Order: sequence, then structure tokens, then C-alpha cells
Amino acid sequence: MSAMAGGIAYFVPAAQLAIESTGQVLRVTPSPSDTSAPTASPSAAAAPTPGAFTVLLLGSDDDSKFSSDHVLTQSMILVRIVPSTKQVTMLSIPRDLWVPLSTGGSGKVDGAYSYGGAGAAVATVEQNFRVHVDDYIWIGLLGLVKLIDAIGGIDVVTSNPVLDDYYPADIYGNSPYGYERVAVLGGPQHLDGLHAMQYVRSRHGDLQSDLGRSQRQQQVLIAIRQKAKQLSAEDLPGIAQALGGELKTSMSLTKVAQLLPVASSFDNLDAINQIILATPYTHGCGCPETYINGNWGLILPLVHQYFP
Amino acid sequence: MIPRFILAVLLAVVMVVVGITSFIYLGTRTSKVAVPAQKPTVVAPRAQALVLPGTLYIAQSGAIYSLSAGRFHQRSAEAGYSQPSLMPDGSLLVVKMSGYFSDVYVLSRFGTPLRQLTNNKYRFGMADPSLNHWSFYPRVSPDGGTLWMTYDGLKCDGCYDVSPAIYSMPLGGNIRQARAWTNGGYYSGGDQQPIPVAGGVIYTKYDYASSYDANQPNKLVGMLWFTNRAGAYGRELTSPGEDCRSPALSPAGNMIAMVCTYQKQESFLTIASWNGSSMGPRQNIVTDQLAAQPTWAPDGSGIAFLAPGVADGPFQLWWLPKEAYTPAPAPPPPTPTPGGPHNGPLPSPKPPPPAPPVKPIEVTTNSGFDATSPMAWLG
Repeated sequence: MSAMAGGIAYFVPAAQLAIESTGQVLRVTPSPSDTSAPTASPSAAAAPTPGAFTVLLLGSDDDSKFSSDHVLTQSMILVRIVPSTKQVTMLSIPRDLWVPLSTGGSGKVDGAYSYGGAGAAVATVEQNFRVHVDDYIWIGLLGLVKLIDAIGGIDVVTSNPVLDDYYPADIYGNSPYGYERVAVLGGPQHLDGLHAMQYVRSRHGDLQSDLGRSQRQQQVLIAIRQKAKQLSAEDLPGIAQALGGELKTSMSLTKVAQLLPVASSFDNLDAINQIILATPYTHGCGCPETYINGNWGLILPLVHQYFP
Repeated sequence: MIPRFILAVLLAVVMVVVGITSFIYLGTRTSKVAVPAQKPTVVAPRAQALVLPGTLYIAQSGAIYSLSAGRFHQRSAEAGYSQPSLMPDGSLLVVKMSGYFSDVYVLSRFGTPLRQLTNNKYRFGMADPSLNHWSFYPRVSPDGGTLWMTYDGLKCDGCYDVSPAIYSMPLGGNIRQARAWTNGGYYSGGDQQPIPVAGGVIYTKYDYASSYDANQPNKLVGMLWFTNRAGAYGRELTSPGEDCRSPALSPAGNMIAMVCTYQKQESFLTIASWNGSSMGPRQNIVTDQLAAQPTWAPDGSGIAFLAPGVADGPFQLWWLPKEAYTPAPAPPPPTPTPGGPHNGPLPSPKPPPPAPPVKPIEVTTNSGFDATSPMAWLG
């Protein structure tokens, strides 16, 4: 019994995180005025795949510029997992995409979370992309840094040098509105949490701005998944301590437990579809502080092909 | 008979000890994925007594290390140093990263700072971080008179582009004497890793693949380029689809090693012949590792490179002997059997048993070398 007590004490941080972070109530509210939302292609209907589910991944800069839970979601990735065929599809939603928001009015899609939390973000995505989202996972920027450090860093082939003269100095800097210069050089390398965050967050030096950043975010997500396969149950308390307060999900503890073996069974990286909504799916300059418009006549058939 | 009170105390102590022991035991069962990399000086190369020729300089955590006669030595403090290359006199050119800027320094072969060759810090305060500059990948011409580097000298007004290009300047001269050989592209990551060669410079250009081939995706890739004079457009040595970078010229000057990633999260170590203006067919010599920074041994006996020791782990030093990528000499023709003329067909010679494939050898196991930093190898 005392051995069991020692074991329980060891896993307390993991249990605490599991209880605090999982099973968040997801209230999806339909948009009060949904007239401009696009309609799905009628030919896209397909028979549901047993066991398949869709998760919306949300990443936020949760620094002191924002009050807690009124943050923008700089990263929004729809992930569909089909356990029976071991297929994964990741679709990055451009943060600057101008859409009708579920909370009313129109705005950039990244603002939905700040107006109505995860429920509004999920509802906005569901209504505009005509998909059903089963669950969401939200992680703060600092949580991403700590998570990657807790798993010992990740290996990434950075496609190009990411050089940014106006990278936000809001995580470790003195002023949340300040800027700093960052340089993540190109090629295969082992990234710690800080440099991985710089790699996925920088967008000023990328002609594709948020779209280029979305590609990098997908690279890092896959790298994290690869590294996570090496973890053991005994690693969970350390990771839980690192993530404290920086992770929320609507998934229940039971579902998370069911997913772990499924996640570890995906070995073929080529079976992961990575979709970026670049031209011709979206248009607009995508420059910082501006917005881009969706070509919904092209987006919806694409979305319904991969997210039936 | 033991009093009941003492028994209870003993039992409580046992319970506490067992509880703590199980807690500690579970802590020892973690996967070790987050164990920090050790300094290479802590653990010598593997017990195979592998001794590489000459002295290899390599960077880890902002310090320069040397490997000679099978032993590592720390040559500089952990002060942001990386990207060593050799001067003709055996001293080292290195980059020192300092927050918002980086500069080129000369270190003695024992790591003592001798000279600062660039001064990229904005001197009039820190109002705008973009007024600082980066210098990366310094190289010196064979005669020792010219410094080559990647430098973001061209600043656009009112835009976010950071556009490093290939520059040359007199060694010891002023940055105002620097000449841009390339234009650095546009929102691409620019031109990097210059390798001065006879008649020009080889470098890595990062650009959008679709700009070169309409069938390619609108994706940033690396390509080896060559240009023979400052301001000339230059030309591709590798295609956008190959997605190559990190060129290294062989000691004889007739081979180029590089890493090619084919726009994926993989990295092949590739070699090709070089005739002074173009490259021959590619030969992928390491295809199952995340290879980085190939470096030719000065005596031509092989190629060192960096790659993770375990999947998704920090980068270690690896050694690929020449035999792995050089075809074995053909067996001698069969000699006639002594004893007079032989009528009829000669007996077919028994083929020699195939030589076992030569695999890369892992030199270190628990270091964490900077995979974006080239290595320098002194013969």
C-alpha cells in the first residue's frame, strides 16, 4: 500500500493536469447572423468513417498583452484522424482569414477565441468550413516552449533561414510590445523550445507570411509527435509540471487514454496530408496587420474531401 | 515481546521508506529523452579507438571544440561562437552571436580571440533592432586576403525583408569596402554559406521553388548556386526539387559534398563531381540519417558529418570512411594456368565474396553539436 502511495504521489502532477486541463466544457454557439457563410458542395457528402474524429488545435500568444482567456489564436489547425486507415490530415487555417464570427459580425478568424473562448473558435470554424469538430486542444506559447524542452527538443529540417527583425519580445523581454531580432538558420537541426517557437511564430521575413508560418507549424507538430513516441508513462509528471496552466482540451481523460496508443501507431509520415490554404484558396497580401479573403468555392470542396 | 508502540513506529518507518523508494524508482524509469547533451570533453570518442586525421573544429552551445588524436578540447568559452573555418595560417574564423547581431572574429587555433573583423552592432542605441546586422558563414580566400561571408547589408526601407547576400571584403578591411556578389533574394532567407573556389563562389540560395519550375510548389527550398563575378546573376548547380544546401569542397577541389532534403523532413548526404563550373551526377551516400554539415577529411580519407545518434535526438559527430562511397577496384583478370597452351574456354574465375558495406561510424554518443554550424578540419 505504501508503494502504491508513493506511485500515486509520483503521478500527482500528471493527474492534476489531466483533471484541470481535460474535459473542458465546449459550448458551441451558432452565429446569430450566418447569412454570408459559404455553403458546402452537395457532391461532397460521404459516408462517415467509423472511429474518425476531428480536433481543432489552437495556439495562442498568451503573454501580458492580453487578459487571460481573451487571447488571439495565432495558430489554428484542423486535424482529422482516421484510426482504421492510419491517416492524418492537417489543415492550417490562416489566422488572418476574414470570416463571419460565431459571436456576431465579421473579423479575422483568430479573433473568435478572444471574443468567446474555445467554443466560439470551434463554432466559427464549423460554420465557415462546414465541418464537425469533435474536440479542441489549446496551448499557450510558453506551454509550447516548455513542452518541447520537456521532451528534450525536436529534430527539424528548417526549410530556409527564418530571419525576423521585428519578432515580438513578449515572452522573455521586458516589454510585451517590444521587438527583437531572431535568426533560425536553415537545414537539419535540433531545436530547443525557444528556437522552435521562433521558427513557428516568425512571419515578418516570409513572403507567404502566415501561410509560410503554417507550413512550419505543421513541421514542428509532426516533429513533436515523433519525439513523443519515445516517452514513457513515467515522463508524464515532468511534462505535466512543464505544461501547468498552458494546456486545455475538451477531450475527456478517457478519450485521451484511448488516443495514446492510436497516436503511437502512426508511423508513416508520408500518410499525413498537410494542407495550406495558399493561393488560389485565399487571396490578399497576407501582410501583417491585414486580412485575407477565402475563395470558398475552392476551399469547401477541398475541406470536404479531407474532412467529410 | 516487542511493545506494540515500537512495532507501529517500525511499520510506519517501513511504509515511508517503501513509499519514497517507489517514488524514486519511478523517477529513474523516465525515458531520458530530455537528458541534456554533455560537453564533448566529458566523454571521449567511442571505445572503438577511432582516431580521425588532423584536428577537427566543431561548435556546441556557443563554444568551439577541437578533436585531435581521439580527444576533445574546449577551445573557447560558451560565448556564442560557432561556424568555424580555417585561415591559411591555421587560425580560425568564427561567428559570435550577440543577441541582435553577429560578428566575425579570428581565434587562434587554441581559441584565444585575436581580432574582430566586423562590427555589426548598431552604434547609436537600440531604437530599431533592424539597424543591426548579421554576418554568417565566414570563409577566407586561399591567399588569405579576402573575407567571404553572408551579410544582410541591403536594408529595405519600410518593409520586413531580411535579405542576406554573399559579400567579399578585404580581410581586415572596413565593411564599407565590402562588395555584394549576390542580391540575396526577396523574403526567402537569402544567400548563405559561401565557398570561394577558383573562378567564383559556390553558395546556397534559398528561394521559392515555383520561381524556377512551374511544376514545383510555392515553397522555399535550398539550391547550390555558382557565380563567377560580383553582381552577375549566377546559375543553379542543383534543382529546386533536390532542395540542397551546406556545400563542402573536397581537398582536391574536384568533389562537392552537400545535404539534399527533397523538400521533406529528411536529409541525404550527397556527393557529386565538380569541374570548376558544373556538377556531375549526384550520389546519395547516406540516406537513412538526418545528415548535416558534411566536411571532407583533409587527407581525403572520408567525410565527417553531423546527425542524431538516436532518433529525434541531439546531433552527434559521425565519420564515413572513403570506402563507403568509392567503388572498390576491379579484381585482376584471371591468369592462364601455367603448363602450356590452353585450348577451349578459360575457366570462369570464382567471384570474390562481396565486401561488407561500409557504414557510418558514430564518433560521439551524448553530445549536442550545433547542426547549423559547419565544421573546420585542419590537416
